[in-house]
Amino acid sequence: MIDINQLSHHFTLGKKGDLTSLSVLENISFHVRAGEIVTIVGRSGSGKSTLLNLISGFIRPTQGEIIIQDQKVSEFDESEFAAFRLQHMGFIFQNFQLIPSMTAFQNIELPLILKGISEQARKKMTIEMLKKVGLENFSGHYPSELSGGQQQRVSIARALVLEPPLILADEPTGSLDSETEEDLLRFIQELNKEMGITFLIITHDDEVAGIGHRTITLADGKMVESGVFS
Amino acid sequence: MKIKDQFRFILQNMKKNKIRVFMTVLATAMGCAFLIVLASVAFGLHDSIVSDMLENRTINEIEVVGSEEGQGITDQDIAKFEELEGVRAVTRQKFVQQDAVYSIDGFEANAPTVAAHFPSEIASGVELAEGRLPEAPNEVVVGHHFIPSLTPAEGNPDEFYNEEGLIKEELQFDGDVIGQTFTMEIAKTDGDQETTQEFDVKIVGVMKAPGREWEWDQYVYITDDLLGELEAFTGTPGAALMDPSTFEDVSAEEVPYDQVTVIASDLESVKNVSEQLEDQQYMSYSIVNEMEQMNTLFTIAKAGLIFIGTIAILIASIGIYNTMTMAVTERAPDIGIMKAIGASPKVIKRIFLLESSYIGLIGAAIGIAAAYVISILVNFGLPLILEAAFNEEMPAGLQFSSIPPLLIVIAVVICLLVTILSGLRPAKRATEIDVLKAMRREI
Repeated sequence: MIDINQLSHHFTLGKKGDLTSLSVLENISFHVRAGEIVTIVGRSGSGKSTLLNLISGFIRPTQGEIIIQDQKVSEFDESEFAAFRLQHMGFIFQNFQLIPSMTAFQNIELPLILKGISEQARKKMTIEMLKKVGLENFSGHYPSELSGGQQQRVSIARALVLEPPLILADEPTGSLDSETEEDLLRFIQELNKEMGITFLIITHDDEVAGIGHRTITLADGKMVESGVFS
Repeated sequence: MKIKDQFRFILQNMKKNKIRVFMTVLATAMGCAFLIVLASVAFGLHDSIVSDMLENRTINEIEVVGSEEGQGITDQDIAKFEELEGVRAVTRQKFVQQDAVYSIDGFEANAPTVAAHFPSEIASGVELAEGRLPEAPNEVVVGHHFIPSLTPAEGNPDEFYNEEGLIKEELQFDGDVIGQTFTMEIAKTDGDQETTQEFDVKIVGVMKAPGREWEWDQYVYITDDLLGELEAFTGTPGAALMDPSTFEDVSAEEVPYDQVTVIASDLESVKNVSEQLEDQQYMSYSIVNEMEQMNTLFTIAKAGLIFIGTIAILIASIGIYNTMTMAVTERAPDIGIMKAIGASPKVIKRIFLLESSYIGLIGAAIGIAAAYVISILVNFGLPLILEAAFNEEMPAGLQFSSIPPLLIVIAVVICLLVTILSGLRPAKRATEIDVLKAMRREI
C-alpha cells in the first residue's frame, strides 16, 4: 500500500542571505501493507507530523520517494496530488477540520461534490454514512452545535464517504475525552476489519498506538524502531 | 466538481456577506449603467440623424451631376448607366424652364413642370396615391399638393388665404381631378413680344405625399412628347421663356437632363455603382457617401464614450477586487480544508472567478435595467426641460438616448471582462493558500 524509501526532509529557516537548514526527517524507509493499521509514535518534534504531511502531499520531500498504491506520488504536482487524495485517501485530523458554515451533512457531502457525483447519489451516500457514524439525527447541525466526539465522527464520515483504501489520521483522539476515545478506536478497528481500510495513525497516545498491527517509532527525525507496540 | 455545485457554493458564500456583496454589485451596476447611458447618447443622436437623412432621401439613390469635364448627362450617358452592374433604374428629368399656368372650371395654379421618363420612374419604385402613369403624350401626373394649390381664377388673391397661409376651405377646388382635362398655358418671347398658347393636359394620376410633412410637391409631371411640343412652340430647350435666337440649334437627344438619378438594386450595390461611375469620370453623390463619413465620426464618438464608461466599471472593479480579496482571506481555512480533502487548485480558482463574474453579471443586469429606465426618462423628460428652458420646440423624432442590443452586448462583455480580471488575482491567491497554514488558522 505505502512504500517510503530513503525519505528526508529539511525546512529552510531565516531570511534571504541568512538561511539555515533544519533537518526534520532523515532517511526514513518503511512499508505499509494493505489492510494494516500502522501507528507512528514519537515525542513532540520527532518528525511524525512532517512524515504524515509528506505522505499526504501537503509538503514536498527534500529527498527520497513515496509510493502509494504503486504510484510514485512524491513526483506528483499539486493538482495530481489533489486528485489522488480525493480518490485514494481519507483524513482524520486532531481538531476535526470541519467547515464551520456547513452542516454535518454538507461537510460529509463535500468530497462527493468535489468528485462530481450526482446530487441524488450524494444524498443517498451521505445519509448512509451519517447512519454509519450514528449521527443520522444530527445531519442539519453545524459543527458548533456538536460535541467533540460527534465532530470527530463527522470528520470520519467525511473521510470514509468515498470509501478510500487508505486513511491518514493525525492525533485522532487528541481532542476527545477518554470515553469517546475508546469508542473511536473501536470504530477504527471495525472499519479496518469490515472494510479492509488501511490506517496510518500519528499519535503520542499509548492507547491509540496499541490498536496498530505495527508501530513505527521516530526520534529526532530518525526511525528508531518498527514492530508490534508494547 | 460540477458547475451547478460550484454555483451553489458561490451563492452560499455570497449569503455570508450579503451587505458587502450588495455594495459591490451596486458599484458594478452603477458603472455599467453609466457606460450604457453615456454611450446611448451617441447611439441616440446617430439614429436620429440617420433616420432624418433617410426620410429626406432614398438610400439607394445616386445622383449624377455630370461628367468631370463639366458636360451634362444625355441619353448616351444614360444608356451607359443602365448597363452598369447593380443598377435597377435610371430616372431622368428635364424641367420646363417656366411656370406653366394650369386652369380648370374657374380655378388655376402656377406649377413647376417636369418631363419625366415614366418607364424608369416605374422601375425606380415611384408610387401613386391614386390613378396611373401617363400612357398618351398629353397625359400627366400631378404632385400631392397640386390640387390644394389651385385658387379661384377671379378675385383678390389676398383674400384667398386664411391666417395659416392656406387657401380658405370654401375657396378650395372641390372635386376629383383624375380624368379631368386642364388647360396648360405656356408663354414664349418673340423679340419684344410675348405670346401664349394653351395645351390640353389630362390628369391621370396623383403622386403619394412626400415623406416629410414640410415637403411640398406641387409639380406636374409631363411626358417627353409633350415637352417636345412645348419646345417646338417656344423654340427653346426646356421651353425656356427666352429669345430662341440666343440658343444653338441642337437636337433633343443632345439636350442634357436637369436631374439624373441612378437607382441601385440594393444598399450593398450603392458603393459599387458609385465607384463604377467615378471610374467613368462622372460626378455623383449618394447618401451612402455622406453616411460613411458620419458613421465614422459617430463610431469614434461611441468608442470614446464607451471608453469613458469603462473607466467607471474599472473603478467598480476595485470594489470587486477588494471584496474577493477579503473573501479569500476569510475563507482561507475552508479553502485549506477543501484542498486537503482533494479540491484541485483549478476548482478553487474557478469558484472564486465564478464568484467575481457572478457579481459582475448581476451588476450588469441591474445596470442594464437602470440604464433603460434612465434612457426612457431622458427621452421623455429632456425635450420638455429644454423646451421650457429655451422656449424652442425640439425637432420631431429627435432621440437623445438609444440603447441598441449591440450596446448591451458591449456593456456586458466589458463588465464581465473587468470583473473576471479583478477576480483573477484573489483567485490565484486562493490557489496558493498553504494547506497546513490554513488549517492551523495561520492565514
